[in-house]
Amino acid sequence: MAAKPGAATPTYSPKLVGSSRLPIFKDSDLDWSRPDGRGFHQCRPALLQTGAVSSASGSAYAEFGNTKVIVSVFGPRESKKAMVFSDVGRLNCNVSYTTFASPTIGQGTDHKEYSSMLHKALEGVIMMETFPKTTVDVFALVLESGGSDLSVVISCASLALADAGIMMYDLITAVSVSCIGKSLMIDPVTEEEGCEDGSFMMTCMPSRYEITQLTVTGEWTTPNINEAMQLCLDACSKLGEIMRDCLKQAASASEE
Amino acid sequence: MVGLSLGEQHFVKGGIAQDLRTDGRKRLTYRPIYVETGVIPQANGSARVKIGGTDVIASVKAEIGRPSSLQPDKGKVAVFIDCSPTAEPTFGGRGGEELSSELALALQRCLLGGKSGAGAGINLSSLLIKEGKVCWDLYIDGLVISSDGNLLDALGAAIKAALTNTAIPKVNVSAEVADDEQPEIDISDEEYLQFDTSSVPVIVTLTKVGTHYIVDATAEEESQMSSAVSISVNRAGHICGLTKRGGSGLDPSVILDMISVAKHVTENLMSKLDSEISAAEASEDES
Repeated sequence: MAAKPGAATPTYSPKLVGSSRLPIFKDSDLDWSRPDGRGFHQCRPALLQTGAVSSASGSAYAEFGNTKVIVSVFGPRESKKAMVFSDVGRLNCNVSYTTFASPTIGQGTDHKEYSSMLHKALEGVIMMETFPKTTVDVFALVLESGGSDLSVVISCASLALADAGIMMYDLITAVSVSCIGKSLMIDPVTEEEGCEDGSFMMTCMPSRYEITQLTVTGEWTTPNINEAMQLCLDACSKLGEIMRDCLKQAASASEE
Repeated sequence: MVGLSLGEQHFVKGGIAQDLRTDGRKRLTYRPIYVETGVIPQANGSARVKIGGTDVIASVKAEIGRPSSLQPDKGKVAVFIDCSPTAEPTFGGRGGEELSSELALALQRCLLGGKSGAGAGINLSSLLIKEGKVCWDLYIDGLVISSDGNLLDALGAAIKAALTNTAIPKVNVSAEVADDEQPEIDISDEEYLQFDTSSVPVIVTLTKVGTHYIVDATAEEESQMSSAVSISVNRAGHICGLTKRGGSGLDPSVILDMISVAKHVTENLMSKLDSEISAAEASEDES
């Protein structure tokens, strides 16, 4: 499971392309320096590996800075007898945190809905018609919570589904942006999320250039939303490239 | 819900494309909204909102509690939604749980804003009585009695009306005590504080059917939707929350267009809702 020595961990930092407008914030407004010294539009290095869990149909491990997530996919396997017949497949998602994932003991109240949000993100991209009467189970375990947990879980889950061979329309990638004061910062860490004025999480299909899930909290003006969307789309397509490389490496490694 | 035949589906989709929906409305027209406040006397505030066939009740109850150790200078708000089986037989037992939690999450997102409290409809600091020791806990409950589409907008309007109707009793901290003891508080029976709802946003759900968006979809129109985006806009014209539902993907330009349409619709909706709420409050005072 160790990364190949000598391979630099790629990052998916976006560039604001074609910004003919002046940037919203000028340098004099920057009074927030990121705890890990990144620029506002710089993402954490993304480490992705497949095949982390040998007993699952497919699995993936993602390490984005301090956020470490492992996702395993089981299926398609037989639905429980009690469930009604359905001619499309069923998807069952569960996101859980280990007890040592965050500095405070216990899960925290935000995380209960992550399972349903993961379900919503994945149900639009998996071709459910290809596995009727059966269920695909996606179990995500957050080993360490370092910020942008749900985005990392979603990206890692789509990688695990690809590793399991479940048919999908496209890989999905998720990126979140935090708004503190007037500055937008991509891929926030826990400290930034704790004092943010707004959060913007986007899940998209990079090849089809379509947004499958978008969740915005806090107060946003339309230019801010425009900028956040551009940042996320660019970062998502770069993350999609990294995920594809990871899958290609895994496939070529297994051929050897 | 009764399924739609192929002919009916075409009729719904074709009508929307031609800006003439099955009930005669245009794409961006709301059904008539009926607001009644003070429907639950035991609650601190309550309201009932009917949008066409959708009927919801929201109630606000305030109780004395302790602020959380992570945010000692703020009160707490909890939103619960219950989809009653009278609305749909499938809601009985655990069937409505998923929809209820999704609605509650979307409403909580719109009302409470970012983690630092920016853009919040309810100012949590105003719920504080004594820092670190005593605060108000607001329990906002929504009950869906009848569902004919557009539950989120109706619940948002009902919560706004209920908060306008909410009267929180004045509290006097009667004695200063040592740091580790709970202070004695005296809850007044006569003096009440009205809640400030000028920053509570309204929620507008835009449903995409084919290539057009409609506002205030009925249940049969919702069955034909490809995706829906619920946008909550406050009085200042800023977006307080956005949730995209539905599996199919949307082009980013479509989402930005939806945001501008939502802002435009919100202006009318906000003023209409305000006038309905004040009319309801006035008639409640008279009776």
